[in-house]
Amino acid sequence: MDKTYSYHDYNAMLNLYDENKKIQFDKDKLAAKHYFLDHVNLNTVFFHTLEEKLDYLVENEYYDQEVLDLYGFDFIKKLFKQAYAHKFRFSTFLGAYKFYTSYALKTFDGERYLERFEDRVCMNALILAGGDPTFAQDVLEEIITGRFQPATPTFLNAGKKQRGEFVSCFLLRIEDNMESISRAINSSLQLSKRGGGVALNLTNLREAGAPIKKIQNQSSGVLPIMKLLEDSFSYANQLGARQGAGAVYLNAHHPDILQFLDTKRENADEKVRIKTLSLGVVIPDITVELAKRNEDMYLFSPYDVERVYGVPMADISVTEKYQEMVDNADIKKKKINARDLFQTIAELQFESGYPYILYEDTANAANPVEGRINMSNLCSEILQVNTPTTYNADLSYGVIGKDISCNLGSLNIAKAMESPNFAKTIKVAVLSLTSVADLSYIESVMSIAEGNRRSRAIGLGQMNLHGYLGKEKIFYGSEEGVDFTNMYFYTVAYHALMTSNQKAKQTGNPFDNFANSKYASGEYFDKYVTQEWKPATKKVAKLFKDSNIEIPTQEDWTRLKKSVMKYGIYNQNLQAVPPTGSISYINNSTSSIHPIASQIEIRKEGKLGRVYYPAPFLTNDNKEYFQDAYEIGAERIIDTYAAATQHVDQGLSLTLFFKDTATTRDVNKAQIYAWKSGIKTIYYIRIRQLALEGTTVDECVSCQL
Amino acid sequence: MSRIVEPINWNRIDDPIDLEVWNRLTANFWLPEKIPMSNDIPSWAALTDEERSTTKKVFTGLTLLDTIQATVGATSLIPDSRTPHEEAIYTNIAFMESVHAKSYSTIFSTLCSTEEIDEAFRWSIENPYLNKKAEIILNNYDGEDPLKRKIASTLLESFLFYSGFYWPMYLSSRSRLTNTADMVRLIIRDEAVHGYFIGYKYQLAVAEQTPERQEHLKEYAYTLLMELFDNENKYTAELYDGLGFTEDVKKFLQYNANKALMNLGYDALFPKETSEVSPAILSALSPSGNENHDFFSGSGSSYVLAKNESTEDSDWDF
Repeated sequence: MDKTYSYHDYNAMLNLYDENKKIQFDKDKLAAKHYFLDHVNLNTVFFHTLEEKLDYLVENEYYDQEVLDLYGFDFIKKLFKQAYAHKFRFSTFLGAYKFYTSYALKTFDGERYLERFEDRVCMNALILAGGDPTFAQDVLEEIITGRFQPATPTFLNAGKKQRGEFVSCFLLRIEDNMESISRAINSSLQLSKRGGGVALNLTNLREAGAPIKKIQNQSSGVLPIMKLLEDSFSYANQLGARQGAGAVYLNAHHPDILQFLDTKRENADEKVRIKTLSLGVVIPDITVELAKRNEDMYLFSPYDVERVYGVPMADISVTEKYQEMVDNADIKKKKINARDLFQTIAELQFESGYPYILYEDTANAANPVEGRINMSNLCSEILQVNTPTTYNADLSYGVIGKDISCNLGSLNIAKAMESPNFAKTIKVAVLSLTSVADLSYIESVMSIAEGNRRSRAIGLGQMNLHGYLGKEKIFYGSEEGVDFTNMYFYTVAYHALMTSNQKAKQTGNPFDNFANSKYASGEYFDKYVTQEWKPATKKVAKLFKDSNIEIPTQEDWTRLKKSVMKYGIYNQNLQAVPPTGSISYINNSTSSIHPIASQIEIRKEGKLGRVYYPAPFLTNDNKEYFQDAYEIGAERIIDTYAAATQHVDQGLSLTLFFKDTATTRDVNKAQIYAWKSGIKTIYYIRIRQLALEGTTVDECVSCQL
Repeated sequence: MSRIVEPINWNRIDDPIDLEVWNRLTANFWLPEKIPMSNDIPSWAALTDEERSTTKKVFTGLTLLDTIQATVGATSLIPDSRTPHEEAIYTNIAFMESVHAKSYSTIFSTLCSTEEIDEAFRWSIENPYLNKKAEIILNNYDGEDPLKRKIASTLLESFLFYSGFYWPMYLSSRSRLTNTADMVRLIIRDEAVHGYFIGYKYQLAVAEQTPERQEHLKEYAYTLLMELFDNENKYTAELYDGLGFTEDVKKFLQYNANKALMNLGYDALFPKETSEVSPAILSALSPSGNENHDFFSGSGSSYVLAKNESTEDSDWDF
């Protein structure tokens, strides 16, 4: 057939089988080719030399002169040459399309492209290296080879004059007073505008019907605040890049918990319906215990709790104080059935995918840092401690507390396993993320600026686990799959800590309050020095051996422990595994450490429309290793995540996938299994509804099983 | 004439397909308020005048068909149901068609001014091809033959909607009005089940007819299809000539005409070459729920209502 199609059509053919029932991978390559020929090349501004290009971009305020001034031009030229020598090509149409639609620098009218992929990578290397040419070359190598990929805010904004922040994620406390509430809304607007997702903790807010100035039945609870936040996020979009996005967390024992969940119901009243705000529930162990015993659970008025304990509800352990609070007549309470709450949560997850779950006590038990984890973020992988902020009568700051931010970036597991120097790959990634922390000081929200200055928290993530396993002919969630995950994360944790330790030693400057952490006491290292970690299967041992990656020994850990106890570590937090949407397409990875959602994924988002993406390393011959997440099922996903969780100081975005034959009980069983397995957070629940037989489109890859 | 209504017993199922379809339809329940339509406002503003005008016409046309199906079509099928459960399903279909009709108004009220909306509705009331389409279908619904009613109904569900569906599917494959497309995809998901179910009941009934009558019905179905098809081609030209999509949409019509015939148990009429739909549209149509959307910009078209089941003590055994 000689007919020519548009690149969108070629791409869509990926989702349609050919006559022999084969997936048409070649059509996607054609789509990428045509995308360049018919669109990108025709719409790219041409420059004769690099010098001409950089001059133009600086003069017209596209690039930031200050970044380029950190280096001599000769070096910059050398760096660009180094980048272009890699002959980078996008592996898929979506990778290219996503890059040019969302990341590449465009003329101010949005009509023409000013950058190729290599240029973007160079600008990232220049800014992340902070003026150190050798390090800039190291960063460039890691990014251009695809081993390390900075998160969207960094990758998108690096080196641009007109830009948002480099930080991905923000988490804000709200205290039970009007100053804090209005500041939270203000901060949400400011942070959304600058490009991050914002999560807020509503646990401390007094419930509907609580007294205001001792007058009973005055407060209207958390719902109206959710409405205000939802509207704020819709208003503040990030230079049009995407809608502001926000999440709110509430403790399961807050009296408004059922109303909070009901906002996501299909038939919720318009006045209380929440469409775009994400919800998360904080579940302490006691809730699970009460459900186990099939007992009622008490919900406690945060207003009274704060008066009785002198600290906000989010700062106490509900599990620890449960009986005490039940017995205290000064705390107003009501009760609901604990199992019913779990069932309601599952019901809503069917309808809306929400709420996320944070198993509060699990997260705190594994937390090496002093303080309390009482919330997570928009993607449920950030788990850090926070402290409250107070305000004066004129709304200025009293005590500036610590709020949370996190700079993310992910390694491509398949590429990292091919790295000529695995330890160095991790080192460069950790130091790059640390640069972002050092570069950031967001003054419009002082609790964030101060929190970041004191903690320099980063979140090194991972992606392409399923792609790698498929390539190596290992089934996701199998014994070998879990074994690999365990050893991989174990090794990463070692090198990440080592890097942060070296940085602390070099600067003489460990993170604030290191002295009171389990790193300083050495307790953190117990599980590594008292027990030997090695591959349980031959296959995994061989994979590490073939990649020339040395698995750290107990002696290595003992040495590291000593050094950490002596010099500290620079970053309060090191790892967090985000869901990696956009960047995994550019990087040609499977998302995060999830299984694939489909062999040919239908990707839909605001800016892209509907595009089709083939799983990396998938061919017509190795399909059996690319089972999709619905086939793989919740247990094997949880097993994989549990193996990784033990080596990750923060959290991991864990989505659970169910077929439409599942009931709320199946979802609850998975939640119980996750809790038992030591999982800290659960992100979305996805239900796949297969089309009724007889109503599908013929020859469509994504509708077949 | 007095009639007897017996209480419907869902524990005695004569036809398991009834239960399957009922479960499917109820699990698919949705309301337009679920979709964050306002996210499409920037995209709407970026369309050309011609594109905006076509969008409005397409949606008023679809509103008319949904209105017919809600108020006349689905309910006209009730008296001839084979089982009480089939009756119940038609009441669900009728209601959901009303939801569909209203959902277009949600799109309008989010994107257009009152004046524009009124003008678009005036266009639909005056358009000769749209009127003819309605007239043909209504004549069949008002006629004496229950099986011809089913033919007309299946053609409406599986064929007539698609001249309109083409446009939002096309736009979404080019990243425009993606939330509108999500809503339309929810509608397509429903209509696909409706067309399948009515066609299925038709096939059951046809099998019980005399060979002569079977032949008569088959001929009637093809004739009616061709009558509608001619009209649909003109309607399509009027909608899409200005944008240059007419040829492409016509192929799409042939593809869906074949689908409708297959739902009725008949052979496809149009050859593969002339009914070849552009791949982007074909892929966009897939009603299956495994698209992977980012939750921040839309709610997607894949969620279903939960099947509740309480946990047992053994589930909490730890």
